[in-house]
Amino acid sequence: MGIMDTNFSRRGFLTSTLVAAAGVITLTACGSDSGGGGGDSRLVMTVWGGEVDKAAYQARIDALVEAYPEMSVTLQLILSDSYAQKVQTMIAGGSGPDIMQVAENVNVYSSKNQLLPLDEHIATAKLDLDSRFGPVGSVYSYEDTVYAIPDRSGAAILYYNKGLFESAGISAPTADWTWDDMLSAAQELTVPGERWGYAGAGWWPLWWSFAHQNGGAIIDEAGRPTADSDAVVEALQYCGDLVFKHKVVPSTIDYANMGTDMGGDPAFAAGLVAMNTTGFWNVGSLAEQDTVEWDIAPMWRGKEQAVATFGSGLAISRTAKDPALAFKAIDFLTSDKSQPLVISMKQDVPANVEVQQSDAFLSPSWMTDPVNMQAFPESSSFAFKSTFIPQWNEMQQAFTDGLADFWLGKQEAAPALATIQERLESIIPAK
Amino acid sequence: MATSLSPSATKPTEPPAPAAPVRRMSTSRKREARYFYLFISPWIVGFLAFMLGPMIASVYYSLTDWDTFTPPTFVGIDNYVRLFTEDPIFWKALGNTFYYAAISVPLGLVLGLWLAHLLNKQVRARKLFRTLIYLPTLVPLVATAMIFQMVLAPDGPLNGLLGWFGIDGPAWLLDPDWVKPALILLSAWGAGGATVLLLATMKGIPNEFYEAAEIDGAGSARQFRSITFPQVTPIIFFNLIMGLIGAFQIFSQVYILTSGGPNNASQMVVPLLFNEAFSYYRMGYASAISWVLFVIILLFTLVAFRTSRRWVFYETAMR
Repeated sequence: MGIMDTNFSRRGFLTSTLVAAAGVITLTACGSDSGGGGGDSRLVMTVWGGEVDKAAYQARIDALVEAYPEMSVTLQLILSDSYAQKVQTMIAGGSGPDIMQVAENVNVYSSKNQLLPLDEHIATAKLDLDSRFGPVGSVYSYEDTVYAIPDRSGAAILYYNKGLFESAGISAPTADWTWDDMLSAAQELTVPGERWGYAGAGWWPLWWSFAHQNGGAIIDEAGRPTADSDAVVEALQYCGDLVFKHKVVPSTIDYANMGTDMGGDPAFAAGLVAMNTTGFWNVGSLAEQDTVEWDIAPMWRGKEQAVATFGSGLAISRTAKDPALAFKAIDFLTSDKSQPLVISMKQDVPANVEVQQSDAFLSPSWMTDPVNMQAFPESSSFAFKSTFIPQWNEMQQAFTDGLADFWLGKQEAAPALATIQERLESIIPAK
Repeated sequence: MATSLSPSATKPTEPPAPAAPVRRMSTSRKREARYFYLFISPWIVGFLAFMLGPMIASVYYSLTDWDTFTPPTFVGIDNYVRLFTEDPIFWKALGNTFYYAAISVPLGLVLGLWLAHLLNKQVRARKLFRTLIYLPTLVPLVATAMIFQMVLAPDGPLNGLLGWFGIDGPAWLLDPDWVKPALILLSAWGAGGATVLLLATMKGIPNEFYEAAEIDGAGSARQFRSITFPQVTPIIFFNLIMGLIGAFQIFSQVYILTSGGPNNASQMVVPLLFNEAFSYYRMGYASAISWVLFVIILLFTLVAFRTSRRWVFYETAMR
């Protein structure tokens, strides 16, 4: 008698199905335990980004494994949009990465004890964060404990269309430019309906730069929101006026008309805006094109010099199998032995200040025309430090929601920021 | 073992059947039943392991404060209380979802019925039109959304078209008042799926009905009302149920096109719960939202089923 001929009842069927289902669950649970056990030299490293990032990180891992042949590191590159979700699921499932790239949302994890404190490892390795990374040395700290080592760190810089500047007879921008200098240059370079002087400051790090230049701060050092202070309101209103009053910056509607997913970066590359402030990432692609003649400079100043920094660090997750080994890897990856690859692979600004000031960074071999790379180390001397609160994502959503009408020209800065401040106060609990 | 499907004769050791009447099945029917269970089992195992388990777990999590990293803390019905009394964004998202479902579902049905009726006529290039109408359903939603981003641009082709009629088109995705109609427009793009089902059913309506109606002097409108429509009501009902569920669960279009903006004007329930769970790490709260949504969908589906007796016509169930 085969299986199909045996006595078969509905109840029996359901029981066996349940048993099978339980089996599946048990097997899955066992699966996540495998690979445990101390002394495992296999490290999993998660990073986000695209093809350039993948190549750069892989090259650095190859160098790491060459230096420490006992290590084996698996790189997991995750698309930026889904990075946080994937890593969250990995950690919640008990199989988090050993080494994990973190940025502004670092304290989402550290505040929930998902990252290992690194102070002891730093002391053991005799690593001096301030001398290796300068002002960003302990940027990834929470309650005076370091949770990540800086890996990439570049200030927002000003990309300008050199060809347009020269034909308009405007001298090259410098760090001493004021808001007025910027505005008058932008006005001269604007051709209504065709070209705009400046790409604008709609993105948070950019209008926050204006706010800090004006003496304000979004979150004060105690971690409390100060988004409705006079200095912030004035700075944001100025950014809005560039769009709607002076019309030297494309509005959201203008960008939507340029095409799908348009913003300052592609608009600058297409010659539609003459000045754009953003991070390092366009240097590589702009160096490969001939449409736009360009250079970079540090961002202008307001009452003070201040600029946002884009960066990321490397952290060790709670589930790391061998934290000491993982730290050894991070130490190597952020040292002058690995960091030159960050620039030679056209990826980003290395966080290591020694490398940032070396010829490898200031005149990369792949750069055909001379570009003022000095703008990066120069900017990092006046970069402002954001307070990475654990509620970072909710705070960003509050700004996105609350400034929607403002960036459409339907609301002034003061009422918009007042509403946002109220929401931030409920999001960020007072200590 | 009242439910035993096998005759006790083949198994002498089996306890005697109780007094209740035992339905005896023929050998071929028994085999069919066994094959049924064999082939359905992957689905049932999958459902129990990957759907029912998480569903039951989420009932518990909806009563906790859980960030997915640290152990959940039991908070009773706090999440539900907060949801209904303290979260204006949830109400806004719920309102938007109702708005979207209330217009997009009937619109999809009417469009599908109209298109199917047109295609059912003996027109030239009927097959070409049929393909063209079904084609959008085959295009991945992500690609469609990207195209719509261009079509709906403030100076895009749609507003260009409206301009010919002297209408000054809105900024669609950027305008809080027009972003929901824009999403509804995108949903109408997918009416081809319903059209094909309805068309197939219309083709199956016996011609004798129309011939008889014609002899009785019924015009084309009357024929549609008294023959075509009643005959396709089961498919309309099917599309209504699927459309309702789909509309309440709208996610990708919002996620790709607007991220819920401007200022939550296009925020819907599922993208909202996704944010709560995966951006703000409030899995307990997100679970509560998902159960509220589940109950809402369940209620609407029940209402649809209840009222269906009045207008859905099944040939096999003549009353």
